[in-house]
Amino acid sequence: MNELSIKELFRFEKTPLNLLIAILTVGLLGIFVAGATYYFIHGHHAFNVTRQHPWGLLIAMYVFFVVSSTGLCIISSIGHVFEVKEFQVIGKRAIAGAIITLLSGFAVIALEVGHPVRMLIYNVLTPGFTSAIWWMGTLYGIYLVFITFEFFFLTIKENHKWAKIFGIGGLLAGLAAHSNLGAVFGFLISRPTANGVFYPVYFILSAMITGCYLIYIIYGFKYKNSYPANIKAMLLKLNKILGMLLGILIFFEAWKIITALYGTMPERAETILHVIKSPTFIFGEVILGMLIPFIVILFSNAKAIKPMVYVSLAGMVGIFFMRYDLVHDTLIYPMDTLKRSEYQLPPTFIEYFPSATEFAIGFGGIGITLLLFYIAEKVFNLDVDTKH
Amino acid sequence: MARYGMALDYKNCINCRACETACKAENGILPGKDNYRIWIGQKEAEGEWPNISIVSQTYHPSQCQHCDNAPCQQVCPTNATYYDENRVVRVDPERCILCTYCINACPYDARYVDDRTVTVDKCNFCSDTRLANGETTTACQATCPTKVRTFGDLDDPNSEISQLLKTREYKQVKEHLGTKPKLFYLI
Amino acid sequence: MKVEISRRRFLQGSVALSIAGGVSLTPSQIIASAKAATKPEDFGKTKKVATLCEMCVNKCAAFAYVRNGVITKLDPNPHFPKSRNMLCPRGNCGIAAIYDEDRLKYPLIRDGEKGSGKFRRVSWDEAYSYITEKLVKILDEEKDNRSTVAFCAGEGMAEHTFKNFYTGFGSSHFLNHATLCLATTVSGYSLTIGSYGQADLENAKYIIMAGANRAEAILTPDTLDLFKRTRGRGAKLICVDPRFTNTAAKSDKWLGIKVGTDLAFVLALTYVAIKEEIYNKEFVKNNFNDFESYKNHILSNNYTPEWAEKITGIEASDIYEIAREFMANAPRAIYYQGRRTTWSKNDFQLRRAQALLTALAGSIDTKGGICFGKKIPIKGHEVPSPLYDNARGRIDATEAAVVGGSGTWVGFRNKVLEGRAEYPIRALFNYKHNPMQNMPNSKKTEEFLKKLDLVVTIDTMPSDTVLLSDVVLPECTYLERTDPLKVFGGIEPAIAQRNKVVEPMFESKPVIEIMRGLTKKLSKPLFEITKKYDEEVQDMIVEDGEKSVFEEEFNLAKAFESSQEELNHHAVSDYEGAAEQLEKIGVFYPNMDRYFKKIGVNDYEYYPEDKKFYSVRNGKLKTASGKVECNLKSLAKKGIDPMPTWKKEYELEIPNGKFRFVTGRHAQFTQSGTANNKMLLDLVPTNYLWINKRVANKLGIKFGDDVEVVSKVGKTKIKAYPTEKIGPETLFFIHGFGNYSEDLTLAHNNGGRDAEILEDGIEPMHGSTCLHDTIVEIRKV
Ligand SMILES: Nc1nc2c(c(=O)[nH]1)N[C@H]1C(S)=C(S)[C@@H](COP(=O)(O)OP(=O)(O)OC[C@H]3O[C@@H](n4cnc5c(=O)[nH]c(N)nc54)[C@H](O)[C@@H]3O)O[C@H]1N2
Ligand SMILES: Nc1nc2c(c(=O)[nH]1)N[C@H]1C(S)=C(S)[C@@H](COP(=O)(O)OP(=O)(O)OC[C@H]3O[C@@H](n4cnc5c(=O)[nH]c(N)nc54)[C@H](O)[C@@H]3O)O[C@H]1N2
Ligand code: SF4
Ligand code: SF4
Ligand code: SF4
Ligand code: SF4
Ligand code: SF4
Ligand SMILES: [Mo]
Repeated sequence: MNELSIKELFRFEKTPLNLLIAILTVGLLGIFVAGATYYFIHGHHAFNVTRQHPWGLLIAMYVFFVVSSTGLCIISSIGHVFEVKEFQVIGKRAIAGAIITLLSGFAVIALEVGHPVRMLIYNVLTPGFTSAIWWMGTLYGIYLVFITFEFFFLTIKENHKWAKIFGIGGLLAGLAAHSNLGAVFGFLISRPTANGVFYPVYFILSAMITGCYLIYIIYGFKYKNSYPANIKAMLLKLNKILGMLLGILIFFEAWKIITALYGTMPERAETILHVIKSPTFIFGEVILGMLIPFIVILFSNAKAIKPMVYVSLAGMVGIFFMRYDLVHDTLIYPMDTLKRSEYQLPPTFIEYFPSATEFAIGFGGIGITLLLFYIAEKVFNLDVDTKH
Repeated sequence: MARYGMALDYKNCINCRACETACKAENGILPGKDNYRIWIGQKEAEGEWPNISIVSQTYHPSQCQHCDNAPCQQVCPTNATYYDENRVVRVDPERCILCTYCINACPYDARYVDDRTVTVDKCNFCSDTRLANGETTTACQATCPTKVRTFGDLDDPNSEISQLLKTREYKQVKEHLGTKPKLFYLI
Repeated sequence: MKVEISRRRFLQGSVALSIAGGVSLTPSQIIASAKAATKPEDFGKTKKVATLCEMCVNKCAAFAYVRNGVITKLDPNPHFPKSRNMLCPRGNCGIAAIYDEDRLKYPLIRDGEKGSGKFRRVSWDEAYSYITEKLVKILDEEKDNRSTVAFCAGEGMAEHTFKNFYTGFGSSHFLNHATLCLATTVSGYSLTIGSYGQADLENAKYIIMAGANRAEAILTPDTLDLFKRTRGRGAKLICVDPRFTNTAAKSDKWLGIKVGTDLAFVLALTYVAIKEEIYNKEFVKNNFNDFESYKNHILSNNYTPEWAEKITGIEASDIYEIAREFMANAPRAIYYQGRRTTWSKNDFQLRRAQALLTALAGSIDTKGGICFGKKIPIKGHEVPSPLYDNARGRIDATEAAVVGGSGTWVGFRNKVLEGRAEYPIRALFNYKHNPMQNMPNSKKTEEFLKKLDLVVTIDTMPSDTVLLSDVVLPECTYLERTDPLKVFGGIEPAIAQRNKVVEPMFESKPVIEIMRGLTKKLSKPLFEITKKYDEEVQDMIVEDGEKSVFEEEFNLAKAFESSQEELNHHAVSDYEGAAEQLEKIGVFYPNMDRYFKKIGVNDYEYYPEDKKFYSVRNGKLKTASGKVECNLKSLAKKGIDPMPTWKKEYELEIPNGKFRFVTGRHAQFTQSGTANNKMLLDLVPTNYLWINKRVANKLGIKFGDDVEVVSKVGKTKIKAYPTEKIGPETLFFIHGFGNYSEDLTLAHNNGGRDAEILEDGIEPMHGSTCLHDTIVEIRKV
């Protein structure tokens, strides 16, 4: 732990980039608070979610955050759980990131779930064991405890044995929680595009990819693109891993689409056909999230580090769209395709566009991440101890 | 102890929506476009004037199906959605955390958010407003001009609904999902 | 069976409260007025009161539940054979009518230009005095010609109470909804088979329902009986309508007829029946008067299906088939009488032809046909009906061949407006009626109302007609009053009574109390005028003394002395226990204790099959000859065809690019009366223009686009609903929307207003209005 005064907390190098990030952080926090306030006044009416489209941007952002958390946890565990040498450098920072993104996710979901306090009480009093949300929530709780202890033993108590034990626990809890998050969608028997084994597996895969992108971004920012040798070695390895993961993901997605279209099963094929024609899928998910990073890795023979930092930014935007589409695409097919009133058009795919409040809370959540990261960097020594 | 269900002679339905208004009044449902426990589905007419397909204009009364194997109940993290002693699928507003997972999970679009309790609401077969007072009909059933609805105990072989299901053919909605709905559409 | 009462029970009734969540009528106000009106011992208890719905003409029996003085729910009351055991959507939304925050709350007197909507609140006494003053002046100037004051009323349980005032007042001018509604079909059937009757849809096997939309224009018990039996379940239903209605959706066959051509269709059916000699020969032989003439008339005019096809657009083969099936199902085949039969100039003849066709099947006064049923006798009470020597005859008597006791509303209005009346019409009393919305060409109605020196309207809502009145008297809603009980005759006759559920809110009162208050103030001063001008009365006074003449003949208040409860008790005093039963369960009929049975979870039996009044006439109809009248020669003298005849002039040309406009009902609204009902608007927020989809496509009109509908007399704006349910030459939207009155916060300017664009032609027989004879254009806006 670093010695810290209040004055120290606000001191940072006034480079243009740092200033920009500072302003961004304050701005995002501001809109988060504004969004939260508006929500407290107007309740769910502040959101554009409806009966037919009950989940929206906030769920997507929650997933975005917790996927980031799990991703960072998994990638960091390559180093300190599986003892791959090059990856040991990222341990502390990644775990810090995992905690921070998870907390940001919790902040967002607390404003989405109508009664978060009641949730804490009845999750315990009358647990719904058949509910994927219950498992997901509970396991993420356990996961948070584990990785917090892991962090504690990494940075404060510096006990590698315990850090490793909690690391393994955290990893397992994280994987379980995260695949359950996939199951939250996979268990929706009524939604043919979501139902099945795909999401639980896909969630782990995309978490790892997210973790890779985030590592590039975090280290890229930290080292301003001039890396010490150990970091460089790590990032090069990461390049290969990411390339492979992306390859698998593309393969996965392709088969998902093909099997969904094949045989033109009424609801499923229609929905997927609609989905793959949408710009958020083509530009967001495919081009930004998968193709650009994949192509860069492919054509640089997995040696590109600098470009990967920027590409990872694009990748994260893509990941956002993956989360958004995950929620939206699951819900676009109406559960009742009949008109409810004579004077209306027949229901088609359900439309949804987030409200200003949803944008404010959802993206404002990134402000929390940035703030916590800044504090963590100030308070803790997140680099590998050079003393050793 | 009963196992309540409803048989619908849906070909009687004239799309008058009396059931909808009766439900709203009985259960104090607030106005608003998402706020309904019951509705009548219809298609836009098929065919060109004056050759309209008459069957394309069949009306489909709908509400919570009180699935015997209810996805909404399975996904509820706090068991706020539960089966009461009459196998009616109910929501306990004290326990509902408004995660809206059940709304996503219901294959029938039967659920919505009630602004009075800020929890999820849906048809409860008028359990609290009528059955609890000893009445034996639901508000939507009683009011229907053409007597589309027959509500009753499926476990009682002598109940009118049991007799109807014995003597008439019926279909169920999205049966293939394995939800075991307790609304029966008489053919 | 154990059922938990959840904590949500307290929410019951919050519909009533949420409905009233406005500025002018807050929940606390309701509760406050409820507290004031509820006996302490009833507070908090759920009370159940038998009432009768008055959201439309049907008067279905209902039970109202009251908690803490607030009506929380209306439920169907199963005891009434007419309404079986149901409440339609409007019936359920009666709570939104009583707790409508826009309700009329206090008596008002105009305080600005007429139509400006500016009124001042006055006391009841001030209102009565104001009316008295004005009337005295008018009658003095008109030398006690009582007919210068006209009376109009919409249909209702207490219409009669208001009519007693009219009777005592001594005007010749009573006007009501008849010529805006059902006059032609009632007289068409009455003059032909003796009465309008009741179509026995519970037992008929074959029904032609043309221009009657029972699935949406709800009539009891017709709607309730019919749709359990259609589509292969006992009754074959042929629906004839230029629109594909909900009734069409329930029919076995739907024919999209050209508007205004039904008479040709019926004549062709008759042609087939006669030509092929498939009619009920036995019945015709015994019960027809002058069948030969009709036969010759039909055959010699060559009313063949091929001829009709060209006019109606219905294929000849369909006409053959329907005629044969109709006769094959005799005598359980009905050509349904219809209800709102204000269509076109040939309407009366159309109804005659329908009645004759039904009679050709012998489906008269028999199970499964048109039945006449029974009434249950009750006792009346006396009301003063003085004679005024100076009161002159109806001014509208010359506007049509036969002008009955309810006049020709549009004929009357137009004659006054055009200055053709023999003497001036100066005042109008209006009860529960909204001519501004319900008479065609509302600009004329507006001018008419402005022209009058005094318009007094008794209403519950600030309607468009209220807007143009001088004095506005707020009646309480039907849930706040006991009304005159009524005998509902028919196959299963019963007496039903509306009982007061809660005390009247604000300063509103039932019409009987309004009449009582007004006549107490009015009788004496008006008598003074009569004394001044009426020589007969002067003589009477000389003979009997002034006091006695006034008290015996001219004290109009006498009609309203007793309370409604007393009058109702008296009316059924011949039946033991009836009055108590009517208060308790709202319904009574002889032997009800033995006959009435619950036979299923939904169904009740009211009369055993052998006690129902299917056949009551014993072969003798209530016509002049006691038989079915084919040839009404007496009408010929008045210029009316004695037998239904198709005329070239009935064929209305629709110029290219234009449309013929039709109006009608919707299951969730009642004419103009529910346009401000919050609960109903929650189901259907506004009305839409039906326009053929292909036509709309060509014009670039999409669902929800704003279009303007323009006729010779006016225009209105409305959203479009392109649909194949209407033909390319026709337009339609639901009647009752697009109100002017700003005080109707939800109804004001909401949707299209048909009264504004409809032309105001009348048909020659009764001077009924022709609502389907308007040619319109549309513009996208
Ligand atoms: N829900 C509801 N029920 C009601 C009422 C209400 O306002 N709402 N009002 C009550 C009253 S007062 C009345 S009078 C009755 C009215 O009951 P109906 O007369 O059955 O109803 P409408 O809708 O006025 O009209 C009739 C139908 O005639 C069709 N039509 C128009 N022109 C022609 C034509 O030339 N030929 C044929 N064959 N059809 C044509 C119209 O498309 C419409 O569907 O309903 C009563 N019941
Ligand atoms: N364009 C067009 N015109 C039509 C028709 C149509 O289809 N289209 N239909 C015609 C037919 S069939 C009919 S029957 C007539 C109906 O015409 P109206 O008899 O005028 O009937 P409503 O439109 O129901 O209006 C009733 C009025 O009574 C008021 N009211 C309601 N309840 C009470 C009460 O308890 N007491 C008092 N005092 N007032 C009350 C309402 O506020 C409203 O102002 O319209 C005819 N006119
Ligand atoms: S009340 Fe009956 S007829 Fe009317 S819409 Fe409901 S189910 Fe259909
Ligand atoms: S219909 Fe929907 S809400 Fe009702 S029990 Fe089934 S799943 Fe649950
Ligand atoms: S919204 Fe309420 S009832 Fe639905 S799943 Fe969540 S806690 Fe259960
Ligand atoms: S059973 Fe009761 S709660 Fe359910 S739809 Fe009918 S009226 Fe509403
Ligand atoms: S038909 Fe409907 S509105 Fe008319 S009286 Fe009956 S319940 Fe009331
Ligand atoms: Mo009418």
